[in-house]
Amino acid sequence: MRRELGIFVALFVMCVALFISNPDFLGQSNAMNTARQISMLGIYTIGIGFVIITGGIDLSIGSVVGLTGVIIAKFSSAAAGGMGLSLWIGIPVALGAALLIGLGQGLLITRLKLQPFIVTLGGMLLIRGISQTIVQGGTISFGNSPFLELANGGFLQVGGDPILPYPTLIFLVVIAVGTYVLHFTVFGRYVYAIGGNRDAAEYSGINVKRVETLTYVISAGLGGVAGVCYAAYIGQMSQQVGVAYELYAIAAAVLGGCSLRGGEGTVLGMIIGAGVMRVIDNGINMFQVRYEDADKVPRIWRLNANWTFIIIGAVILQAVVLDQVVHMVQAARRTRRAGAAAAASTGQKIEVAPPAKAG
Amino acid sequence: MTEVSSNPDLLSMSAITKRFPGVIALQDVSLSLKAGEVLSLMGENGAGKSTLMKILGGAHLPDEGQIAVGGKPATITGVSEAKRLGIALIHQELMLAPNLDIAANIFLGNEGPGGLIQKLNRGQMNAKAAALMSRVGLNLPPTTPVSLLTTGQMQMVEIAKALSVNARIIIMDEPTSSLTSGESEQLFKIIRQLRDEQIGIIYISHRMEEVLELSDRITVLRDGRYVGDLLRAEATQDKIVAMMVGRELSNQYFPPKHTKPPGEPVLVVDGLLVPGAPEGATFSALRGEILGFAGLVGSGRTEMMETIFGVTRALGGTMTLEGKPYAPKTPRAAIDRGVYLAPEDRKKHGLVLPMSVAQNTSLPNMAKYSKWSILDRPSERKVAEAEVLRLRTKTPSILQKVVNLSGGNQQKVVLGKWLAMNPRVLILDEPTRGIDVGAKAEIYRHMAALADEGIAILMVSSDMEEVIGMSDRVVVMHERRIKGVLPRESLTQQRIATLMTGRTEGTAAA
Repeated sequence: MRRELGIFVALFVMCVALFISNPDFLGQSNAMNTARQISMLGIYTIGIGFVIITGGIDLSIGSVVGLTGVIIAKFSSAAAGGMGLSLWIGIPVALGAALLIGLGQGLLITRLKLQPFIVTLGGMLLIRGISQTIVQGGTISFGNSPFLELANGGFLQVGGDPILPYPTLIFLVVIAVGTYVLHFTVFGRYVYAIGGNRDAAEYSGINVKRVETLTYVISAGLGGVAGVCYAAYIGQMSQQVGVAYELYAIAAAVLGGCSLRGGEGTVLGMIIGAGVMRVIDNGINMFQVRYEDADKVPRIWRLNANWTFIIIGAVILQAVVLDQVVHMVQAARRTRRAGAAAAASTGQKIEVAPPAKAG
Repeated sequence: MTEVSSNPDLLSMSAITKRFPGVIALQDVSLSLKAGEVLSLMGENGAGKSTLMKILGGAHLPDEGQIAVGGKPATITGVSEAKRLGIALIHQELMLAPNLDIAANIFLGNEGPGGLIQKLNRGQMNAKAAALMSRVGLNLPPTTPVSLLTTGQMQMVEIAKALSVNARIIIMDEPTSSLTSGESEQLFKIIRQLRDEQIGIIYISHRMEEVLELSDRITVLRDGRYVGDLLRAEATQDKIVAMMVGRELSNQYFPPKHTKPPGEPVLVVDGLLVPGAPEGATFSALRGEILGFAGLVGSGRTEMMETIFGVTRALGGTMTLEGKPYAPKTPRAAIDRGVYLAPEDRKKHGLVLPMSVAQNTSLPNMAKYSKWSILDRPSERKVAEAEVLRLRTKTPSILQKVVNLSGGNQQKVVLGKWLAMNPRVLILDEPTRGIDVGAKAEIYRHMAALADEGIAILMVSSDMEEVIGMSDRVVVMHERRIKGVLPRESLTQQRIATLMTGRTEGTAAA
């Protein structure tokens, strides 16, 4: 839990600093929008977390997010390019496709003993291509479909905005179920055992292939759920939606304490990790410094939006560096103590040792 | 005794003390080595041998004490410093890159003065490698990929690598643990030859015969302390063991063999064709007996056990368990029938090291420790507690991660996870490998007790004393064939050794 606590403190400090710099950060509109963003990222971060804890990786999630939205747009949009069918057809088909993608990749990885990286890399490109083909390189709008309510509506309307947007509600359900499955069921125990030692799990009679396959189904399935939310949030689908999203999720999971070697990580950590990723994103827009220039004209200094990736990359690197440095400092302190003792005793006793003979 | 010698110590370590958090690994340990001497370092696991050698190799700094190499005081601050001083450490697990060839491995990290950008002079490297290889009796092209070599040949590459940097002190940690007897002989020949070239050799091994055959002198450690030295002339197995364990080994070491006659066959193996074996295997294990499996490394014993446990599928033949057909396709199928395997490599196949004692104990039987797939932690902990008590596993708590336990206690966790599930057939592959004598005796007692309860135990072991001391009958294998099954009355080291090495013995069939 050390990692979870550390990253939580970092998140908290960031939020306080942003609030001081710009009180609008916690204004209802921005806070709700950030909550929605954290929720949508968090949903599929928990999915990929299952895969990462077994020691695998799923690079296809961003493409799955995109494809789900594209399928819904194709089937259910009444605007140009859409077929105008019911959402009750579009959404189940999209989610079904996501689950099938996860199952297919999972089976390839476990049955043919292929490396998860390369299978899901292939999946990522293939699925992206399917999305592109469906939208014919263009954009399908949802128009003013009631579907958009899914992202923008919610419970407890205050002013124009809901206190509890639907994506956040879905996220809370995913958190509850994810925590339960990962930390309180036999399946979750097996996920950790496989990540800790795949061979020993096999020799203990665990059906490793089935458990692993299921983690890819969960990952793609939650990618699909997130994809539904993103589609409603964006309101129109192009091939570009979801590009590189898997990297955000992997970063969030690792920030939250998952190890890419497997065997480590918690749902709580993934939630906090997703929070950090989105608060940084939002913070780059919100952060400001008020000052008066030479002519006593009040001005506001803001971060350049072009720096977004620099800042996110730096935060990820400093988090893992910091974590490793803490480990190394602890180890070095032990060694130094031993080394000092050795040097001291050598220094004292060398004088009484007989003079060195020629070797 | 003050020895005045024109031949100064090549290496002397005096009053070395090393503490780790919560444990004193070495206390006031001294060791000396002369040029042209083979010194064997002996001691049980945990006696401090590897810590002492890691200090020599530069992996640890001692807390107290002095080291002198070639008469000059030395502080070995790191691996490169050890190398500069002419100390080469050959690990039990060989440190070679299997994807590179022999010459590239010999000169790995020592390619020349030019840094990373220099062009590799392959011709010169191969010529130098060939010269070094001929010194260790390796008659292969230097361009042979290491992945094609036998373990014995890889060992020679390691030695050639040590020679390439003009090592004056070569430390070998259990070099024969995975060699055939022929390869071991070859290794001994090279060791003697290096000795004659005035190189000092520190030899670490658990195998008494080798140590007695090879050493000029034997240094014994126990519990991190120096016990004493024995010269070759005065050393006997009994003396060494007495120094190692601090008491004379008596027959109590192995529990008395039970007198109950073994019962009916539990597991009948008929013509079982293990992948890679030239012929089917036929034997049966009786209720309440310990059936030993003797053979050299690579004789196919582990593969056979893995087939019986469902890790690999048999290509032919049949098995019967308690009168019913038994053909496991997965470990799960074997476990469901009460056939359990404690594998040879417990860290790789037996335990999930980052998980707790309790979680490892319950792992194969989660159905019992859950209700509708929901974990029932209290019941899991109760059973783990019971197994820790029964086996007297030394762990601060059942919530301790097994990675923090010693080898003997890790093995007890493996045993505990199976004992909690009422075994019918228990397969123990090298049950006491890397375990100290105290824990060994305890494991032997448990094995005898389990056999008395009517469990059939299949025990694979490379330790001849263990095979003879524990087994009711012994299956001897050679090159993936069963060469004979020896009944209890005719269990002698000589007869087992004859069959193990592939020679046939008229009276061996049973």
